[in-house]
Amino acid sequence: MSYEPGYAGLGERAGLRDILPSPRLAAAVWSRNAQVFSKLWKGALLPTFLDPFFYLLALGFGLGTYIAHGINGVPYKEFVAPGLIASAAMWSSAFETTYNVYFRMNELRLYDNLLSTPVEPQDLVAGDIAWSSTRATIYGIVVLIVVAAVGLVSSPWAILIPPFVLLGGLCFSVIGYTFTSLIPKIDLYSYFFTIGITPMFLFSGIFFPFNQLPGWVEVVAWFTPLYHLVEITRGLATGPDAASILIHTAWLTVVTALLFTIPVRALRAKLVP
Amino acid sequence: MEPAVLARELTKSYGDRVAVDAIDFEVPAGICFGFLGPNGAGKTTTMKMIYGLARVGRGELRVLGMDARRERRAIKSRIGVVSQETNLDGDLTVRENLTQQASYFGIDARAVAPRVDELLEFSLLHDRGSDRIQALSGGMKRRLMVARSMVNEPELVVLDEPTTGLDPQARLAVWRSLERLKRRGVTLLLTTHYMEEASRLCDRLLIMDEGRIVTEGAPPSLIHQHAGREALELDLGEGCDATALLATIAERADGHELHDGALTLFADDAEELLRSIDHDRFPTDSAVVRRATLEDVFLRLTGRTLREGE
Repeated sequence: MSYEPGYAGLGERAGLRDILPSPRLAAAVWSRNAQVFSKLWKGALLPTFLDPFFYLLALGFGLGTYIAHGINGVPYKEFVAPGLIASAAMWSSAFETTYNVYFRMNELRLYDNLLSTPVEPQDLVAGDIAWSSTRATIYGIVVLIVVAAVGLVSSPWAILIPPFVLLGGLCFSVIGYTFTSLIPKIDLYSYFFTIGITPMFLFSGIFFPFNQLPGWVEVVAWFTPLYHLVEITRGLATGPDAASILIHTAWLTVVTALLFTIPVRALRAKLVP
Repeated sequence: MEPAVLARELTKSYGDRVAVDAIDFEVPAGICFGFLGPNGAGKTTTMKMIYGLARVGRGELRVLGMDARRERRAIKSRIGVVSQETNLDGDLTVRENLTQQASYFGIDARAVAPRVDELLEFSLLHDRGSDRIQALSGGMKRRLMVARSMVNEPELVVLDEPTTGLDPQARLAVWRSLERLKRRGVTLLLTTHYMEEASRLCDRLLIMDEGRIVTEGAPPSLIHQHAGREALELDLGEGCDATALLATIAERADGHELHDGALTLFADDAEELLRSIDHDRFPTDSAVVRRATLEDVFLRLTGRTLREGE
């Protein structure tokens, strides 16, 4: 394939202007999604409210009763609660950037219209990801309020959790978007959830710590974004360690920035053949 | 005046399939220019290259004087698009669809409301502003698509089969809105399967087949050039030898089409041609004299074989 200036599909050299989004147009894309959410939020928020509540009930209050001494001195339900803030953000981002984006793109064909306006693929991806992480933050805040209300947050630093959830949301969203931009058909999402999201939910340190397990378990977990967000939210909810938060924040930021170009290029190759 | 669209040796391939094969054309500003052709002729691919949903393969394509490869954003900010598929946003109301579209063009928030009012008025949807898209008829959706393509006050509007699937009343309403658009001086570029639509709206036509341009011209001159003035349609009777009949009258006709015992002859005076036929030797079940149409031109140039979907 020859190099065509101004265009960057997969396997072609990308100019910076094909990667850097226009903030104004990304905001326009964001606002469409926000507007639709504002009409549907009542129905959409209730499950988010109930989901972590059930986990807390079953694991924190149920299973937790048998874990008499808590974990590292923290009562079990207080150990689990901050992780559920992080996982709510993950689930929200995962659904938004898979099924929702897929439908807007392939069923409703909304992106064909968007891309025939001044909006380019990088604006579209940036706006969608910004929206997805906004939604993740809203969900995270709902869960934060729930766990704080039942007395599972011991540190006032917890008030700083939302911006970190936004960052985690960006990272989860860019990963989900990457998957969506590369898959040919919708059936493949079951792999994304079964092999990616569900194991991440179970093995990222929400329900048990790694210090009694073989070292490789924590090494594997270190490569998942949820692990880093859980460490941040738990730190802030129980009493933070600034250095550790800095490292986890850096991890999420770098991964998000590195991955961003993949869905931009893939979407361009797919929608502007 | 600079042409609205200029293509030189424009080529586009998808893998091994050549969709558009080194075509040259020029769309003058301010007119309605039509692309006709069977499915798979390359019309939609050409439109998509113009409005930025397909990359330019080889050759040159300039839209409003700008290079379609390098200046996509600038081009897209000055054109309007009505795609073949209706892709309105079903989660938003009619009015919100237009307001949202305006935001993609960076139109100043204060200017949007009056602009949207005007567009609703233009497309006869002023009492439908707060309806959901699902509540609109097919014709209303297409009119809204046309209205949406106008939010940025484009100099050129590209319409890919704007009336396919509409009933006659709805089609007429879309035509009227396109005629109003044309009167405002907007250049229209459209593809269609309907000869009536092409004759009614287009000042200039181009017929494509298999990625190439077959002919180009104003509708009346295309008819004159490729079909003559009138057509004589004969339904040949049993035992009528078409070859022998053609041998006796071929020189008096400007051409013919023979298809399953139906013979169409083109001539300046079809009545006279009919009289000159030896009806005892060549029995016919029916004979109709009519004016030659664009449909005759189209079928003569692109054949009668059915094409696979594009």
